[in-house]
Amino acid sequence: MLSVCPYFHVHQPYRVKQYRVFDIGNDTEYFNDASETDLNNRRIIEKVANKSYRPTNKILKELLDTHPEFRFALSFSGTALDQFEEYAPDVLASFKELVATGRVEILADTYHHSLAFFYSVPEFERQVKKHKERIEDLFGVSPKVFRNTELSYRNDLAKWCEDNGYLGIMAEGWDKYLGWRSPNYVYSPKGCSSIKVLLKNYKLSDDVAFRFGNQAWESFPLRAETFADWVHAHHGDGQTVNLFMDYETFGEHQWEDTGIFNFLRALPEQLLKHPDTSFKTPTETIESYESTGEYDVPDVLTWADTDRDLTAWTGNDIQRDALSKIYALESDVMEIADPELTEIWRKLQTSDHFYYMCTKWSDDGDVHAYFSPYQSPYDAYIAFMNAVSDLQLRVGDRVSKVRLKKKIAEEAKKKRAEVSAKRALDKEVVILKITWSMKAEAWLRQTQVGRFLEKIFLKAKK
Amino acid sequence: MKVLTFGWDFPPSRNGGLGVACYGLTRELCTEGIEVLFVLPKKQETIGAPKFIFAGQEHKTTVIEVNSALAPYHSGDSKVMSVISYNTDGTPKYAIRSMMDEVHLFAKQAEQIALLHQFDLIHAHDWSSYLAGVAAKKVSGKPLILHVHATSFDQAASNNVDPSIFRIEQDAFNEADAVVTVSEYTRRIIIEKHRIAPEKVLVVHNGCDTFIPPVYEPSLRELKAQGKKIVLYHGRITIQKGVDYFVRAARRVIDVDPNIIFVISGWGDMQNQIIRMVGELGLSGHVIFAGALWEEERDRMYQTADLVVMPSVSEPFGLVPLEAMQHGTPSLISKQSGVAEVLTHVLKVDFWDVDAMANQILATMRYDVLRNQLTTAGRQEINRLSWHEAAKKVVSLYKNLVNYISA
Repeated sequence: MLSVCPYFHVHQPYRVKQYRVFDIGNDTEYFNDASETDLNNRRIIEKVANKSYRPTNKILKELLDTHPEFRFALSFSGTALDQFEEYAPDVLASFKELVATGRVEILADTYHHSLAFFYSVPEFERQVKKHKERIEDLFGVSPKVFRNTELSYRNDLAKWCEDNGYLGIMAEGWDKYLGWRSPNYVYSPKGCSSIKVLLKNYKLSDDVAFRFGNQAWESFPLRAETFADWVHAHHGDGQTVNLFMDYETFGEHQWEDTGIFNFLRALPEQLLKHPDTSFKTPTETIESYESTGEYDVPDVLTWADTDRDLTAWTGNDIQRDALSKIYALESDVMEIADPELTEIWRKLQTSDHFYYMCTKWSDDGDVHAYFSPYQSPYDAYIAFMNAVSDLQLRVGDRVSKVRLKKKIAEEAKKKRAEVSAKRALDKEVVILKITWSMKAEAWLRQTQVGRFLEKIFLKAKK
Repeated sequence: MKVLTFGWDFPPSRNGGLGVACYGLTRELCTEGIEVLFVLPKKQETIGAPKFIFAGQEHKTTVIEVNSALAPYHSGDSKVMSVISYNTDGTPKYAIRSMMDEVHLFAKQAEQIALLHQFDLIHAHDWSSYLAGVAAKKVSGKPLILHVHATSFDQAASNNVDPSIFRIEQDAFNEADAVVTVSEYTRRIIIEKHRIAPEKVLVVHNGCDTFIPPVYEPSLRELKAQGKKIVLYHGRITIQKGVDYFVRAARRVIDVDPNIIFVISGWGDMQNQIIRMVGELGLSGHVIFAGALWEEERDRMYQTADLVVMPSVSEPFGLVPLEAMQHGTPSLISKQSGVAEVLTHVLKVDFWDVDAMANQILATMRYDVLRNQLTTAGRQEINRLSWHEAAKKVVSLYKNLVNYISA
């Protein structure tokens, strides 16, 4: 038995426009570029919807209809879902149709495709919660398996998932941590007792995601039949082949003219030709197999480039500066507690902003290795930091107002408390006076001495 | 392999980028085992390994003794004072000649030199040597490489191209067996404007010599002490260099942050216009004209500046950002420059986009981390731009041409 677990990640960030120093304090819209460039978010969504989301969803739906065995998983960033809703509602509807078949699992994620886990766990938890609510609301299902931004992973993240009731988590199956072992088995994260980790088979996944359209590649052009043979070769040497990749592989990273759609259309049938091959969702995979060992990842592991770490996001000074500036706003933003402002702050946490500032390949002279809608990493940094500067001003302004309001409210409360305390005291005094006078009267009447004294008083009055 | 090379300028004369580039490339060609015979139009001091021939000196029998007063960066019709002969008492006789006359004269001398020497290839640098290269090819039949350091389109900033220079360029490119440009930017001009077959035009980016310069006492100490930030323009003040855009960007910057001082270092035919413009824009208190700065004074200014701007309208390569990087100062350069193709750790802007230029200047002043990273990463980056790499490309071109001819 060998099962295949395909999982496609859907994401679009809110790109920051060419926000200039002059705009700081004058323009509160950071994401509304309307130019003919790739900074125009609406334009990008419309473009990618035509090239990728619409045709791919159509094929996926056909495949689900023709092959009752076919199943897969999707993950969505909230920023992608929000933009579909606004700019391409039919795309969102077509995703809902896929999920409604019951054979498409949705994974848990951060709403804003952020690196929050590594900067602020409380903020990370808020984003995961927001994401969960959004998925439940849109699709009527609750995610059970977690994946983090860029498949970033560490032992303590797995532990967090276990503590928060997830069944499992996704990660890169990286040689450094696997050693001689194969990614085609289910493992237990170090430090966890119940959850499992599913490891991406990067060789087979990247054959599709990265190499498919590369004419210089020895296996070009890759046919579904050949790829299915490669998968089938793992029969007897594995439980599951985990094919994890960006959803946009289909039609956007690999254009239609590479034959990627025909490949996708043909793949399930080719895989199912082998009688012992099946499809499983991540949850099914986790529930079907026992763990064969421990996966111990003490440092951050991602699915990015050859380093498989966070250096594409945090590798240089401007990236670290931008990250620290955005997370430094957390306590103030939380204190202000304005949903709109919080949302803007979170949109600026999306990891793509920091990726656009990456310079690591340029050190090898390979300037164009990284995709970015900006002309240079420095342009990306300047636009981002200008927007953050404006946000800082707004946050600073709002937080001082909030604090002033709080102070006034507190003082008023204190005053009210004083007044009521004084009233209470006065009341007590009155009560005491009455009580004592009553007691005195009773004493005068009821005791011999009292009656005697009363008589003397009365005589004296006469 | 022996190469007859024609040039117009060579260090230590201080005329700008052309001589520096000829020196860097020739030095590395020599270490690659190429024998370079370098021909210059007039006697001058020289440095390095190649053997030099001074056209005016060695061939006084065939040509009237010429000690030309030439410098590069003249237009074809500009007049220059030349020594045409000597009086009996030994004092020189001068005549006003046009640059064009000088160029033709150089070509005649080149013919003679080519007949007298053995060589495998001809390599001519800059337009003023193209005719010399072509003449040498005609008498020797050896393959000719023309090395384009600038075109008539750069000098004129795209309009009012000098038709006589353009003709020399186009005729010579047609005669040449290969044309080398210092950037893809210039290659496109040669293909699109001069209509030269693309396969004949090859890019060899200039290199950069890395050295750790001495650290000087900063200039403008008083202004620095007041907390002012310095933005420097260094270069000729001509239409090609885009100084007017720099001044307009300064106006935008000062509106936001009056704590910035703009320094303009250089001279040129647009100087008065720029001075007027500064006055008209009310920038007199924010712009300093430093005159042409050279050597230690220039280096001191590079080190003083917080940012160096090269706003060129058309720049085949552009040494300024490399010099700035050597002195640990970040640069903002126009995208219309060849050097932009090889640098990552600089800010880039379209020369005409004054708002974008002002934004980047302001951002550099605001964000210290940005400035620091541009400085440190920039220093590492120029280590990759070696003349050695450039020479290796040229050597393989030499070999291809020689093999092609002999086969």
